[in-house]
Amino acid sequence: MEALARSLVSAVPAIAGVPLWTVTLLMMVLSAAVLLAFALTFGGLGSYVLRKVAGDIQVRIGPNRVGPYGLLQFLADGAKLLLKEDIIPAKADRFLFILAPYLVFVGSFAAFVVLPFGVGLTASDLNIGVYYVMAVTSLVVVGILMAGWASNNKWALLGGMRAAAQIVSYEIPVGMAIMPAVLIAGSLSLQDIVRSQGGLLGIFGWNLFHNPFTFFSFFLYFTAAQAETNQTPFDIPEAESELVSGYNVEYSGIRYAFFFLAEFGDMFVVAALATACFLGGWHVPFFRAEALPALWGNLLSLAVFLIKAFALVLVMMWVRWTLPRLRVDQLMRMSWKYLVPLTFVNLLGVSLWLLIFKGKGIPALIASLIG
Amino acid sequence: MGLKQYIADIVEAVVTTAKGMRITARYGVDAKEEITQQYPEVRREPSERFRGFLHNDIARCTSCTMCVKVCPVDCISLEAVRGADKKMVLASYDINIGRCMYCGLCVEACPTKCLTHTSGYEKASVDRGELILHFVHEDPAEIKARVAKQVAEAAAKAAEAAKAAEAAKAAESPKMTESLRPGKAEGSIVPAAPAFAAAVGNPGGGNPGGPKAPDAAKEEWEKKG
Repeated sequence: MEALARSLVSAVPAIAGVPLWTVTLLMMVLSAAVLLAFALTFGGLGSYVLRKVAGDIQVRIGPNRVGPYGLLQFLADGAKLLLKEDIIPAKADRFLFILAPYLVFVGSFAAFVVLPFGVGLTASDLNIGVYYVMAVTSLVVVGILMAGWASNNKWALLGGMRAAAQIVSYEIPVGMAIMPAVLIAGSLSLQDIVRSQGGLLGIFGWNLFHNPFTFFSFFLYFTAAQAETNQTPFDIPEAESELVSGYNVEYSGIRYAFFFLAEFGDMFVVAALATACFLGGWHVPFFRAEALPALWGNLLSLAVFLIKAFALVLVMMWVRWTLPRLRVDQLMRMSWKYLVPLTFVNLLGVSLWLLIFKGKGIPALIASLIG
Repeated sequence: MGLKQYIADIVEAVVTTAKGMRITARYGVDAKEEITQQYPEVRREPSERFRGFLHNDIARCTSCTMCVKVCPVDCISLEAVRGADKKMVLASYDINIGRCMYCGLCVEACPTKCLTHTSGYEKASVDRGELILHFVHEDPAEIKARVAKQVAEAAAKAAEAAKAAEAAKAAESPKMTESLRPGKAEGSIVPAAPAFAAAVGNPGGGNPGGPKAPDAAKEEWEKKG
């Protein structure tokens, strides 16, 4: 960010007199605002698409009254949430009750910072990007537990407890499933991971096709990550048939909207991380986006990245409207007895593969055989 | 749990998940059947024997009050007066559709088949008074006054005719007049008195207290309903 600010100051003579830190700060605020706008828009349009997909799958029509094809439904919903009464239960722990939605939202939104949207489009390319995402999304569990506890409601508390157990359990398989990508790239930076997947017609460089273990890793990650972010069919913290609405049962109005947006933010983060680590990130198939001029390269890679991520989001919605919810014990068994051992085996397999074949994947090996 | 069972479990989970996903994908992409109807724009045609709102074709109504008598919830109220030609004239015919339970007994009872079920079913309103359907649109008091006037005119005519006949007869044989007079008067003149109309109009007790202005009737409906 500072390097960018320096180049901007030297390129535009009008702001030559402004101190460097001011320009840097302004750019930080600007990029944060852009990401926030993106996250909110995604939350809004995502809810519309979610309901439309649900309608299609359940042979209904879905929202179609507000605006053309019901496209403005999310604006109506947003206005409704803003205008709702902000109710805080009399016996709630006021401070924690108010703080919880912010923590949950921050936990999911902060992960946007390191997502590699394009060739040069990252708010901050941290050299511990993957680790940062894992750490910051764990903040969500604190917020959810806090919301459950502060509501002073048995359903909310049960939801919060379940969320804590679930998120902590599933963090292990998520981390283990993403490790192969880190091993192949030799870096925790998400941009480095994406860069390591270039070449070979654009598609065969993807970690997904690197070797059989990474192929399974992708599915293991996708499953575990859905559980970690409380997506249906792993949404036992808010299972409405058992817990009314779970940890957010006492929330209304804009405070509820924060939980809602955090859920969609999580959805996008999971899809974006899966894209970056296994589906080649912003790499354009059969084309080198880096070779283009900076502006066009960025735009093209941004478009490709978003298409891949949105496709994964669509798959998550598809799963959501297909599979029935797991029971609590089934959920725990799935994590500890199936996903954790499998991801460990996968990690071991990838490590051995990289050792034996000197870091080359199957496509690379075939390419070297052909010549 | 052996390793074999463990792997079988995983395979089963993957296979069944894929199966479910295939089914929902098929529905999502190509539903093949349209179930939802866009109600205000597209309406389903009610069946032929659908019991919708009641409608009374008052031109054919004989004010027999069969519908009023048979109605189990007393939602029909009727007022009628005896006209100059001795037929009943409807002064008002109201159906409280908010209280009607669509049993259809009144339609079965109607001898002239002028009371029928329509296919109508949309009548949301903010006021219960709006749920009362009025089939006679004139003011009942006006109708009664008109009928009473007609009856009176007819009576006067009859009296005149009787007088003329009497005079003619008197000219013929003056002694006969005294015996003829009372009988004739009894047979031809029935006054359209309010008390009579009330007796005809309210056998079921739907509208006690004789004829009322529409507003008063409405208020009473609301009190009852």
